[in-house]
Amino acid sequence: MQPSSLRELLGIGREPVLRLPEPNVPTHEAGGGTLPVQVHGTTVIAVKYRGGVLNVGDRRATANFAVMYDRAEKVLPIDDYTLLAISGSYARAMEVARYLRHSFKYFERSQLQPMSLDGKLAELARAVAAGVPAALQGIGGFIPILSTFDRDANEGRIFFYDGMGARFESTEYGAAGSGAIQIRGVFDYIVKTRGPFHQMERREALREALLLLDIASELDAATGGWSKVLPLAKTIDAEGIADVPEEELRNLVDEINQMGRR
Amino acid sequence: MVYTPFDFNEAISQRREWAETGLREGSPVVGVSIEDGLFLLTVRQTQRKIFEIYDRLVYSAIGNQSDIEAIRIAAIDVAHREGFERSPDDVTAHRLVGFALSPPLKKLFGDSFNAPAVVRAIFGEMGTAPQNDLFYILNYDGEFFQRERCAAVAGTPEAEERIVLHLAEIAPDTPLRDAVPMALRAWAVGVLLSSRHAPGNGEEPAAADADISDDQVLQEIRRRLSSGSVEVGLLDRRTRRESKFRLLSAAEIQDIVKDFASND
Repeated sequence: MQPSSLRELLGIGREPVLRLPEPNVPTHEAGGGTLPVQVHGTTVIAVKYRGGVLNVGDRRATANFAVMYDRAEKVLPIDDYTLLAISGSYARAMEVARYLRHSFKYFERSQLQPMSLDGKLAELARAVAAGVPAALQGIGGFIPILSTFDRDANEGRIFFYDGMGARFESTEYGAAGSGAIQIRGVFDYIVKTRGPFHQMERREALREALLLLDIASELDAATGGWSKVLPLAKTIDAEGIADVPEEELRNLVDEINQMGRR
Repeated sequence: MVYTPFDFNEAISQRREWAETGLREGSPVVGVSIEDGLFLLTVRQTQRKIFEIYDRLVYSAIGNQSDIEAIRIAAIDVAHREGFERSPDDVTAHRLVGFALSPPLKKLFGDSFNAPAVVRAIFGEMGTAPQNDLFYILNYDGEFFQRERCAAVAGTPEAEERIVLHLAEIAPDTPLRDAVPMALRAWAVGVLLSSRHAPGNGEEPAAADADISDDQVLQEIRRRLSSGSVEVGLLDRRTRRESKFRLLSAAEIQDIVKDFASND
């Protein structure tokens, strides 16, 4: 039968609009066996501060022992109030970020209301879980941190994930990537000695986050320092997402460079 | 069914008349491109009329609610599919209107077993500067055309032309705060002209708008705003936000329409 209504003629609902492709796992039958070169993002950190949440990340992307790229952007805006900080497989993480960006916006534009925070978190969980079979074969595993600003509660919120897609809300901070394990205790030390991040002013929280990143780069071979390129830092507050100005970043980095010198 | 040439002409013109009749009463939508961004403006009753389609695309239409909605959904679907599969840079109003929306409308218009769509749509596409902004007008029969700087959809072609003449007076460097009231005046001229062409109203079509005084425009705006409200959908060229689109807030609209309030 010929389609007749305008909706049918326009093809509305004929096929799904967005579909996140699952990573292809090479099989032994197909002559697989050698993994492709995979670029990995290293350390990303999210901390709260009074009136917002901020993300910092080093700029390094590695493949095994090679530094592949020193200007990687691993803190990605997804919508006006959501940042995705990524670690692990760069290819998969970028694809997921692109997917989420479209998925959240598609929902808001077609349904005329923003997707709920829980809906967004579930969408990201599904994207992580869909990659598990491939990740088990050593391809495409990545761990995200999702930061957002809750406009009802007027505070930042941080959610971290495991490799299966389980999500956990963190009260103060989150970190992912190769350098995250080395600095885990430092977060607690900061909270116990200087007070919780969510009560710090923006500048103080940013300085602590950069210091954590600096320590990660010293203790983890894959995490980049800032001798060549400044790290990436973005904030989310009631006004939305903003880049930390380069000058402010440079001042803090200089300050940290002077610390612990003899 | 076999048509003689006469039947064919007759059938097409009847379908056209049917669609045009449905459009005549629609509240016009005007589009303006300035340095601050690109906006669509209309006065609505209860239903929202101006919609974001994609990162730099905005849409509105007059006509049947269900046809307006079908085109909105189809446009959003196509834009997001293309933007994700390829790149947001490949989503353009030209491709959307010309290849995805126009052919089905044309097909439906020529299908004698179904009623044609009753819709006239306006798409605005924001570029990096006003000279890169584009408007597309898409008609119920699949015909479409492109305009720069400003555009309008209204009940009659005469009303549209007249609106555009007024909109053209808005210079690209006009701030948004001043451009919106000018666009509202142009909208009101369109309403006055559309209603004059209403069948059976006995008046001659206006040849020039010398006969539409500023006072009439003001009265018309006041009359319409007593039951409706101004809606402005802006693609903001200066924002640092991820979303360029926003509807002007009630407070912003209030600040603008208070200039039209009567003094008594």
